[in-house]
Amino acid sequence: MGQFRIVRGAVAFAALLVCAPLAAQEKTGIKPGFALRPGTARIVLMRPTILVGAQSIGGVNEPNADWTRQARENIALALRQAQANVGNAMVEYDEGASGEGPLATEYAQLFGALADSVIEYQFFAGNRLPTKKRNDSFEWSIGADLGKLRSLAAADYALFITTRDDYGSAGRKVLQMVAAMGGVGLKSGDHTGYAGLVDLRTGELVWLNADRQMGGDVRTAEGASKRVSQLLEGFPGKSSAAVNGAP
Amino acid sequence: MNIPRSPALLALAALAATPALSNMLVPPGPRTGIANSRLSATPASEWNRLSHTDGKFTEVWTIDGDQLDKVTFFGGVARGKALLREVDRKHHPLPTVKASMLITDIPVLLETTYRIRGARQMTIDTQEPAMLGGHKAIRFTYHFTLDDEVRRKGEGLGALVDGKLYLVTYEAPALHFFDKDVARYRALAASITL
Repeated sequence: MGQFRIVRGAVAFAALLVCAPLAAQEKTGIKPGFALRPGTARIVLMRPTILVGAQSIGGVNEPNADWTRQARENIALALRQAQANVGNAMVEYDEGASGEGPLATEYAQLFGALADSVIEYQFFAGNRLPTKKRNDSFEWSIGADLGKLRSLAAADYALFITTRDDYGSAGRKVLQMVAAMGGVGLKSGDHTGYAGLVDLRTGELVWLNADRQMGGDVRTAEGASKRVSQLLEGFPGKSSAAVNGAP
Repeated sequence: MNIPRSPALLALAALAATPALSNMLVPPGPRTGIANSRLSATPASEWNRLSHTDGKFTEVWTIDGDQLDKVTFFGGVARGKALLREVDRKHHPLPTVKASMLITDIPVLLETTYRIRGARQMTIDTQEPAMLGGHKAIRFTYHFTLDDEVRRKGEGLGALVDGKLYLVTYEAPALHFFDKDVARYRALAASITL
Protein backbone atom coordinates (compact mmCIF):
# COMPACT_ATOMS: atom_id res chain seq x y z
CA MET A 1 0.00 0.00 0.00
CA GLY A 2 1.30 3.36 -0.87
CA GLN A 3 1.91 6.45 1.10
CA PHE A 4 -0.74 8.28 -0.91
CA ARG A 5 -3.43 6.51 1.11
CA ILE A 6 -1.60 6.89 4.40
CA VAL A 7 -1.32 10.64 3.93
CA ARG A 8 -5.01 10.84 2.98
CA GLY A 9 -5.96 9.02 6.15
CA ALA A 10 -3.69 11.23 8.18
CA VAL A 11 -5.21 14.39 6.79
CA ALA A 12 -8.72 13.11 7.46
CA PHE A 13 -7.70 12.16 10.98
CA ALA A 14 -6.15 15.57 11.54
CA ALA A 15 -9.29 17.27 10.32
CA LEU A 16 -11.35 15.18 12.71
CA LEU A 17 -9.11 16.19 15.59
CA VAL A 18 -9.72 19.86 15.09
CA CYS A 19 -13.16 19.97 13.56
CA ALA A 20 -15.69 18.14 15.67
CA PRO A 21 -18.67 18.70 13.34
CA LEU A 22 -16.97 16.49 10.79
CA ALA A 23 -17.61 13.57 13.08
CA ALA A 24 -21.32 13.92 12.34
CA GLN A 25 -21.11 11.62 9.36
CA GLU A 26 -24.06 10.48 7.28
CA LYS A 27 -24.03 6.86 6.18
CA THR A 28 -26.70 6.63 3.53
CA GLY A 29 -27.46 8.71 0.48
CA ILE A 30 -30.21 8.47 -2.09
CA LYS A 31 -30.79 10.43 -5.24
CA PRO A 32 -33.64 12.89 -4.58
CA GLY A 33 -36.85 11.61 -6.08
CA PHE A 34 -35.55 8.08 -6.59
CA ALA A 35 -37.93 5.32 -5.63
CA LEU A 36 -37.92 1.65 -6.45
CA ARG A 37 -41.20 -0.20 -6.20
CA PRO A 38 -41.03 -3.87 -5.28
CA GLY A 39 -41.30 -6.27 -8.18
CA THR A 40 -40.51 -3.74 -10.88
CA ALA A 41 -36.82 -4.09 -11.56
CA ARG A 42 -34.14 -6.62 -12.36
CA ILE A 43 -30.98 -6.10 -10.34
CA VAL A 44 -27.60 -7.64 -11.04
CA LEU A 45 -25.38 -8.24 -8.04
CA MET A 46 -21.87 -7.45 -9.26
CA ARG A 47 -19.00 -9.56 -7.97
CA PRO A 48 -18.24 -8.13 -4.52
CA THR A 49 -14.83 -6.66 -3.80
CA ILE A 50 -13.71 -8.26 -0.53
CA LEU A 51 -10.34 -7.76 1.14
CA VAL A 52 -9.33 -8.89 4.61
CA GLY A 53 -6.05 -8.36 6.40
CA ALA A 54 -4.33 -7.67 9.68
CA GLN A 55 -3.37 -4.35 11.17
CA SER A 56 0.10 -4.28 12.70
CA ILE A 57 0.98 -2.46 15.88
CA GLY A 58 2.08 0.51 13.83
CA GLY A 59 -1.21 0.62 11.94
CA VAL A 60 0.09 -0.91 8.71
CA ASN A 61 -2.42 -3.17 6.98
CA GLU A 62 -1.21 -6.53 5.67
CA PRO A 63 -3.47 -8.62 3.38
CA ASN A 64 -4.37 -12.12 4.57
CA ALA A 65 -5.26 -14.55 1.76
CA ASP A 66 -6.92 -17.15 4.01
CA TRP A 67 -9.14 -14.63 5.76
CA THR A 68 -10.04 -13.06 2.42
CA ARG A 69 -11.03 -16.46 0.98
CA GLN A 70 -13.15 -17.24 4.05
CA ALA A 71 -14.83 -13.85 3.86
CA ARG A 72 -15.59 -14.23 0.16
CA GLU A 73 -17.28 -17.58 0.74
CA ASN A 74 -19.21 -16.35 3.77
CA ILE A 75 -20.38 -13.11 2.20
CA ALA A 76 -21.36 -14.85 -1.05
CA LEU A 77 -23.54 -17.24 0.95
CA ALA A 78 -25.06 -14.45 3.01
CA LEU A 79 -25.83 -12.44 -0.11
CA ARG A 80 -27.55 -15.42 -1.71
CA GLN A 81 -29.71 -15.78 1.38
CA ALA A 82 -30.52 -12.05 1.33
CA GLN A 83 -31.42 -11.92 -2.36
CA ALA A 84 -34.92 -13.26 -1.82
CA ASN A 85 -35.72 -10.39 0.51
CA VAL A 86 -34.66 -7.32 -1.46
CA GLY A 87 -38.07 -6.80 -3.04
CA ASN A 88 -36.96 -7.14 -6.66
CA ALA A 89 -35.46 -9.86 -8.82
CA MET A 90 -31.76 -10.09 -8.11
CA VAL A 91 -29.29 -12.29 -9.96
CA GLU A 92 -25.55 -12.68 -9.60
CA TYR A 93 -23.38 -11.21 -12.32
CA ASP A 94 -22.55 -13.63 -15.09
CA GLU A 95 -20.27 -12.51 -17.89
CA GLY A 96 -21.45 -15.39 -20.09
CA ALA A 97 -19.67 -15.36 -23.42
CA SER A 98 -19.20 -11.60 -23.39
CA GLY A 99 -15.62 -11.65 -22.10
CA GLU A 100 -16.52 -8.61 -20.02
CA GLY A 101 -15.51 -10.10 -16.68
CA PRO A 102 -12.27 -8.07 -16.33
CA LEU A 103 -14.10 -4.87 -17.25
CA ALA A 104 -16.83 -5.65 -14.72
CA THR A 105 -14.12 -6.12 -12.10
CA GLU A 106 -12.65 -2.77 -13.06
CA TYR A 107 -16.04 -1.15 -12.57
CA ALA A 108 -16.31 -2.81 -9.16
CA GLN A 109 -12.96 -1.27 -8.20
CA LEU A 110 -14.10 2.07 -9.55
CA PHE A 111 -17.22 1.80 -7.42
CA GLY A 112 -14.95 1.60 -4.35
CA ALA A 113 -13.29 4.88 -5.33
CA LEU A 114 -16.67 6.45 -6.04
CA ALA A 115 -18.02 5.38 -2.65
CA ASP A 116 -14.86 6.68 -0.95
CA SER A 117 -15.43 10.03 -2.60
CA VAL A 118 -19.10 10.15 -1.57
CA ILE A 119 -18.13 9.44 2.03
CA GLU A 120 -15.36 11.99 2.11
CA TYR A 121 -17.00 14.77 0.15
CA GLN A 122 -20.74 14.28 0.74
CA PHE A 123 -21.37 12.27 3.88
CA PHE A 124 -18.89 14.29 5.95
CA ALA A 125 -21.03 17.41 5.91
CA GLY A 126 -18.19 19.66 7.07
CA ASN A 127 -16.00 18.46 4.23
CA ARG A 128 -18.64 18.59 1.50
CA LEU A 129 -17.54 19.96 -1.84
CA PRO A 130 -19.12 23.38 -2.43
CA THR A 131 -20.54 22.26 -5.78
CA LYS A 132 -22.23 19.31 -4.04
CA LYS A 133 -23.96 21.43 -1.42
CA ARG A 134 -26.80 22.75 -3.51
CA ASN A 135 -30.41 21.68 -3.14
CA ASP A 136 -29.51 18.60 -1.11
CA SER A 137 -28.07 17.17 -4.27
CA PHE A 138 -26.79 13.62 -4.55
CA GLU A 139 -25.18 13.69 -7.96
CA TRP A 140 -22.71 10.89 -8.42
CA SER A 141 -22.21 8.65 -11.41
CA ILE A 142 -20.03 5.75 -12.44
CA GLY A 143 -20.66 6.51 -16.10
CA ALA A 144 -23.37 5.49 -18.55
CA ASP A 145 -21.02 3.10 -20.36
CA LEU A 146 -21.54 0.55 -17.59
CA GLY A 147 -25.08 0.02 -18.85
CA LYS A 148 -23.76 -0.72 -22.33
CA LEU A 149 -22.06 -3.93 -21.22
CA ARG A 150 -23.65 -6.84 -23.06
CA SER A 151 -23.51 -8.91 -19.89
CA LEU A 152 -25.81 -6.37 -18.20
CA ALA A 153 -28.20 -5.91 -21.11
CA ALA A 154 -31.18 -7.48 -19.36
CA ALA A 155 -30.76 -5.59 -16.11
CA ASP A 156 -32.12 -2.30 -14.78
CA TYR A 157 -29.74 -1.78 -11.88
CA ALA A 158 -26.34 -3.00 -10.73
CA LEU A 159 -25.67 -3.53 -7.04
CA PHE A 160 -22.04 -3.14 -6.03
CA ILE A 161 -20.64 -4.41 -2.74
CA THR A 162 -17.22 -3.57 -1.30
CA THR A 163 -15.86 -4.64 2.06
CA ARG A 164 -12.40 -4.04 3.46
CA ASP A 165 -11.49 -5.40 6.87
CA ASP A 166 -8.25 -5.16 8.77
CA TYR A 167 -8.22 -6.86 12.14
CA GLY A 168 -6.00 -5.35 14.79
CA SER A 169 -3.13 -7.56 15.91
CA ALA A 170 -2.66 -8.39 19.58
CA GLY A 171 0.05 -5.76 19.77
CA ARG A 172 -2.22 -3.19 18.21
CA LYS A 173 -4.95 -3.94 20.75
CA VAL A 174 -2.49 -3.57 23.61
CA LEU A 175 -1.35 -0.26 22.15
CA GLN A 176 -4.98 0.80 21.90
CA MET A 177 -5.52 0.05 25.60
CA VAL A 178 -2.36 1.87 26.61
CA ALA A 179 -3.32 4.84 24.50
CA ALA A 180 -6.80 4.86 26.04
CA MET A 181 -5.28 4.94 29.53
CA GLY A 182 -3.37 8.00 28.42
CA GLY A 183 -6.53 9.61 27.13
CA VAL A 184 -5.67 9.06 23.48
CA GLY A 185 -8.19 7.44 21.16
CA LEU A 186 -6.56 4.90 18.87
CA LYS A 187 -8.37 2.63 16.44
CA SER A 188 -7.61 -1.05 16.32
CA GLY A 189 -8.82 -2.49 13.05
CA ASP A 190 -10.70 -1.07 10.08
CA HIS A 191 -14.06 -2.41 8.94
CA THR A 192 -15.36 -0.67 5.87
CA GLY A 193 -18.40 -1.68 3.89
CA TYR A 194 -20.12 -0.08 0.91
CA ALA A 195 -23.25 -1.10 -0.96
CA GLY A 196 -24.36 0.99 -3.91
CA LEU A 197 -27.12 0.76 -6.49
CA VAL A 198 -26.43 2.11 -9.97
CA ASP A 199 -29.12 2.90 -12.54
CA LEU A 200 -27.90 1.17 -15.69
CA ARG A 201 -29.77 3.55 -18.00
CA THR A 202 -27.79 6.55 -16.76
CA GLY A 203 -24.86 5.26 -14.70
CA GLU A 204 -26.09 7.33 -11.77
CA LEU A 205 -25.52 6.16 -8.24
CA VAL A 206 -29.07 6.22 -6.90
CA TRP A 207 -28.45 4.75 -3.45
CA LEU A 208 -25.38 4.26 -1.31
CA ASN A 209 -24.99 2.77 2.13
CA ALA A 210 -21.43 3.21 3.33
CA ASP A 211 -19.80 2.93 6.70
CA ARG A 212 -16.17 2.76 7.76
CA GLN A 213 -17.07 1.16 11.08
CA MET A 214 -19.12 -1.87 10.08
CA GLY A 215 -19.91 -4.76 12.39
CA GLY A 216 -19.74 -8.50 11.85
CA ASP A 217 -16.63 -10.63 11.61
CA VAL A 218 -16.66 -11.55 7.94
CA ARG A 219 -14.36 -14.50 8.62
CA THR A 220 -17.34 -16.32 10.13
CA ALA A 221 -20.68 -17.22 8.55
CA GLU A 222 -22.62 -15.51 11.34
CA GLY A 223 -20.53 -12.35 11.11
CA ALA A 224 -20.81 -12.23 7.34
CA SER A 225 -24.59 -12.51 7.63
CA LYS A 226 -24.61 -9.58 10.04
CA ARG A 227 -22.38 -7.59 7.68
CA VAL A 228 -24.66 -8.22 4.71
CA SER A 229 -27.67 -7.14 6.76
CA GLN A 230 -25.88 -3.90 7.57
CA LEU A 231 -24.82 -3.38 3.97
CA LEU A 232 -28.39 -3.75 2.71
CA GLU A 233 -29.97 -1.67 5.46
CA GLY A 234 -32.38 0.78 3.89
CA PHE A 235 -32.16 -0.92 0.50
CA PRO A 236 -34.64 0.76 -1.86
CA GLY A 237 -37.77 -1.17 -2.69
CA LYS A 238 -38.02 -3.03 0.57
CA SER A 239 -38.06 -2.18 4.24
CA SER A 240 -34.91 -2.79 6.22
CA ALA A 241 -36.77 -5.33 8.34
CA ALA A 242 -37.44 -7.47 5.30
CA VAL A 243 -33.86 -7.23 4.11
CA ASN A 244 -32.76 -8.42 7.50
CA GLY A 245 -34.85 -11.52 7.04
CA ALA A 246 -37.97 -10.55 8.97
CA PRO A 247 -41.32 -11.25 7.31
CA MET B 1 5.72 -1.13 1.25
CA ASN B 2 6.67 -0.37 4.84
CA ILE B 3 5.51 2.86 6.31
CA PRO B 4 7.96 3.68 9.08
CA ARG B 5 6.00 6.49 10.65
CA SER B 6 2.82 6.14 12.61
CA PRO B 7 -0.42 7.53 11.19
CA ALA B 8 -0.73 9.71 14.28
CA LEU B 9 2.58 11.43 13.54
CA LEU B 10 1.59 11.82 9.94
CA ALA B 11 -1.70 13.29 11.07
CA LEU B 12 0.05 15.90 13.15
CA ALA B 13 2.38 16.74 10.28
CA ALA B 14 -0.56 17.00 7.94
CA LEU B 15 -2.40 19.17 10.43
CA ALA B 16 0.51 21.56 10.62
CA ALA B 17 0.65 21.72 6.85
CA THR B 18 -3.07 22.24 6.35
CA PRO B 19 -3.93 25.89 6.80
CA ALA B 20 -7.57 25.79 5.74
CA LEU B 21 -10.23 23.43 6.99
CA SER B 22 -12.97 23.69 4.43
CA ASN B 23 -13.03 23.14 0.73
CA MET B 24 -13.70 26.30 -1.25
CA LEU B 25 -15.63 27.07 -4.40
CA VAL B 26 -13.57 28.29 -7.34
CA PRO B 27 -15.99 30.31 -9.47
CA PRO B 28 -15.43 30.97 -13.16
CA GLY B 29 -13.14 33.92 -13.83
CA PRO B 30 -9.55 35.03 -13.22
CA ARG B 31 -7.74 33.57 -10.22
CA THR B 32 -4.28 34.61 -9.11
CA GLY B 33 -1.73 33.33 -6.64
CA ILE B 34 -2.51 29.67 -7.23
CA ALA B 35 -0.43 27.41 -4.99
CA ASN B 36 0.95 30.54 -3.32
CA SER B 37 2.86 31.32 -6.49
CA ARG B 38 2.77 33.48 -9.60
CA LEU B 39 0.50 30.93 -11.26
CA SER B 40 -2.75 32.44 -12.50
CA ALA B 41 -5.59 30.85 -14.42
CA THR B 42 -9.06 31.63 -15.67
CA PRO B 43 -11.38 28.68 -15.20
CA ALA B 44 -14.39 28.74 -17.48
CA SER B 45 -16.52 26.76 -15.05
CA GLU B 46 -16.74 25.97 -11.37
CA TRP B 47 -14.19 23.87 -9.50
CA ASN B 48 -13.68 22.94 -5.87
CA ARG B 49 -10.39 23.81 -4.20
CA LEU B 50 -9.57 21.19 -1.59
CA SER B 51 -8.56 22.27 1.88
CA HIS B 52 -5.76 19.72 2.00
CA THR B 53 -2.73 19.77 -0.23
CA ASP B 54 -0.03 17.32 -1.21
CA GLY B 55 2.73 19.66 -0.12
CA LYS B 56 3.87 23.22 0.36
CA PHE B 57 4.00 23.98 -3.36
CA THR B 58 0.69 22.44 -4.35
CA GLU B 59 -2.98 23.33 -4.69
CA VAL B 60 -5.61 20.76 -5.62
CA TRP B 61 -8.81 21.39 -7.54
CA THR B 62 -11.51 18.83 -8.24
CA ILE B 63 -15.06 18.38 -9.43
CA ASP B 64 -16.11 15.07 -7.86
CA GLY B 65 -13.31 14.52 -5.33
CA ASP B 66 -9.64 13.84 -5.82
CA GLN B 67 -10.14 10.06 -6.06
CA LEU B 68 -12.23 10.71 -9.18
CA ASP B 69 -10.65 13.76 -10.76
CA LYS B 70 -7.72 15.79 -9.56
CA VAL B 71 -6.00 18.86 -10.90
CA THR B 72 -2.77 19.63 -9.04
CA PHE B 73 -0.95 22.91 -9.46
CA PHE B 74 2.71 22.83 -8.52
CA GLY B 75 3.60 26.49 -8.06
CA GLY B 76 7.26 27.39 -8.33
CA VAL B 77 9.00 24.39 -6.81
CA ALA B 78 12.49 25.70 -6.04
CA ARG B 79 15.83 23.94 -6.47
CA GLY B 80 16.42 21.32 -3.81
CA LYS B 81 12.71 20.94 -3.11
CA ALA B 82 10.48 17.93 -3.79
CA LEU B 83 7.19 18.04 -5.66
CA LEU B 84 5.23 16.49 -2.80
CA ARG B 85 5.40 16.53 0.97
CA GLU B 86 8.13 14.24 2.29
CA VAL B 87 6.68 11.33 4.24
CA ASP B 88 9.85 9.36 4.98
CA ARG B 89 12.81 11.52 4.07
CA LYS B 90 15.29 9.22 5.82
CA HIS B 91 14.40 5.94 4.11
CA HIS B 92 12.47 7.02 1.03
CA PRO B 93 13.53 10.56 0.10
CA LEU B 94 11.73 12.14 -2.80
CA PRO B 95 13.71 13.47 -5.76
CA THR B 96 14.13 17.22 -5.90
CA VAL B 97 14.30 19.94 -8.51
CA LYS B 98 17.91 20.31 -9.73
CA ALA B 99 19.68 23.32 -11.13
CA SER B 100 20.69 21.25 -14.15
CA MET B 101 17.12 20.17 -14.93
CA LEU B 102 15.69 20.47 -18.40
CA ILE B 103 12.00 20.52 -19.14
CA THR B 104 12.36 16.99 -20.52
CA ASP B 105 13.30 15.89 -16.99
CA ILE B 106 9.93 16.99 -15.57
CA PRO B 107 8.02 13.79 -16.46
CA VAL B 108 10.80 11.66 -14.96
CA LEU B 109 10.71 13.73 -11.77
CA LEU B 110 6.98 13.10 -11.42
CA GLU B 111 7.35 9.41 -12.30
CA THR B 112 10.08 8.85 -9.73
CA THR B 113 8.18 10.78 -7.08
CA TYR B 114 5.05 8.71 -7.61
CA ARG B 115 6.93 5.42 -7.59
CA ILE B 116 8.55 6.29 -4.27
CA ARG B 117 5.18 7.31 -2.87
CA GLY B 118 3.80 3.87 -3.69
CA ALA B 119 2.10 4.27 -7.07
CA ARG B 120 2.28 1.07 -9.10
CA GLN B 121 2.77 0.71 -12.84
CA MET B 122 3.60 4.41 -13.07
CA THR B 123 4.57 4.90 -16.69
CA ILE B 124 5.06 7.95 -18.88
CA ASP B 125 3.19 7.31 -22.13
CA THR B 126 3.77 10.34 -24.35
CA GLN B 127 5.78 13.56 -24.33
CA GLU B 128 5.69 16.57 -26.65
CA PRO B 129 6.83 20.20 -26.68
CA ALA B 130 4.22 22.72 -25.54
CA MET B 131 3.82 26.18 -24.03
CA LEU B 132 2.80 27.07 -20.49
CA GLY B 133 1.93 30.68 -19.82
CA GLY B 134 4.11 31.81 -22.70
CA HIS B 135 7.11 29.70 -21.67
CA LYS B 136 8.58 26.62 -23.31
CA ALA B 137 7.07 23.59 -21.67
CA ILE B 138 6.48 19.87 -21.97
CA ARG B 139 3.14 18.14 -22.21
CA PHE B 140 3.08 14.50 -21.21
CA THR B 141 0.65 11.71 -20.43
CA TYR B 142 1.01 8.82 -18.00
CA HIS B 143 -0.86 6.11 -16.17
CA PHE B 144 -0.58 4.51 -12.75
CA THR B 145 -2.44 2.52 -10.10
CA LEU B 146 -2.82 3.23 -6.39
CA ASP B 147 -3.70 0.85 -3.58
CA ASP B 148 -7.39 0.94 -4.54
CA GLU B 149 -6.41 -0.93 -7.74
CA VAL B 150 -8.16 1.66 -9.91
CA ARG B 151 -6.33 2.28 -13.17
CA ARG B 152 -5.75 6.01 -13.52
CA LYS B 153 -4.61 8.19 -16.39
CA GLY B 154 -2.76 11.45 -16.06
CA GLU B 155 -1.75 14.41 -18.16
CA GLY B 156 0.78 17.09 -17.24
CA LEU B 157 2.05 20.41 -18.55
CA GLY B 158 5.27 21.69 -17.00
CA ALA B 159 7.87 24.42 -17.44
CA LEU B 160 10.98 25.76 -15.74
CA VAL B 161 10.89 29.50 -15.22
CA ASP B 162 13.62 31.41 -13.40
CA GLY B 163 14.94 28.15 -11.97
CA LYS B 164 11.59 27.11 -10.52
CA LEU B 165 9.30 24.36 -11.68
CA TYR B 166 5.69 25.09 -12.61
CA LEU B 167 3.50 22.14 -13.39
CA VAL B 168 -0.19 21.36 -13.66
CA THR B 169 -1.45 17.79 -13.77
CA TYR B 170 -4.83 16.14 -14.24
CA GLU B 171 -5.47 12.62 -13.00
CA ALA B 172 -8.60 10.50 -13.02
CA PRO B 173 -9.72 6.87 -13.28
CA ALA B 174 -9.31 5.62 -16.83
CA LEU B 175 -12.91 4.40 -16.82
CA HIS B 176 -15.40 7.23 -17.34
CA PHE B 177 -13.82 9.96 -15.21
CA PHE B 178 -10.71 10.84 -17.22
CA ASP B 179 -12.65 11.52 -20.39
CA LYS B 180 -15.47 13.23 -18.52
CA ASP B 181 -13.43 16.25 -17.49
CA VAL B 182 -10.22 16.21 -19.54
CA ALA B 183 -11.48 18.94 -21.87
CA ARG B 184 -12.27 21.13 -18.88
CA TYR B 185 -8.75 20.54 -17.55
CA ARG B 186 -7.15 21.32 -20.91
CA ALA B 187 -9.05 24.60 -21.15
CA LEU B 188 -7.94 25.44 -17.62
CA ALA B 189 -4.29 24.58 -18.38
CA ALA B 190 -4.43 26.67 -21.56
CA SER B 191 -5.58 29.68 -19.52
CA ILE B 192 -2.57 29.62 -17.18
CA THR B 193 -0.30 32.65 -17.07
CA LEU B 194 3.01 33.03 -15.29
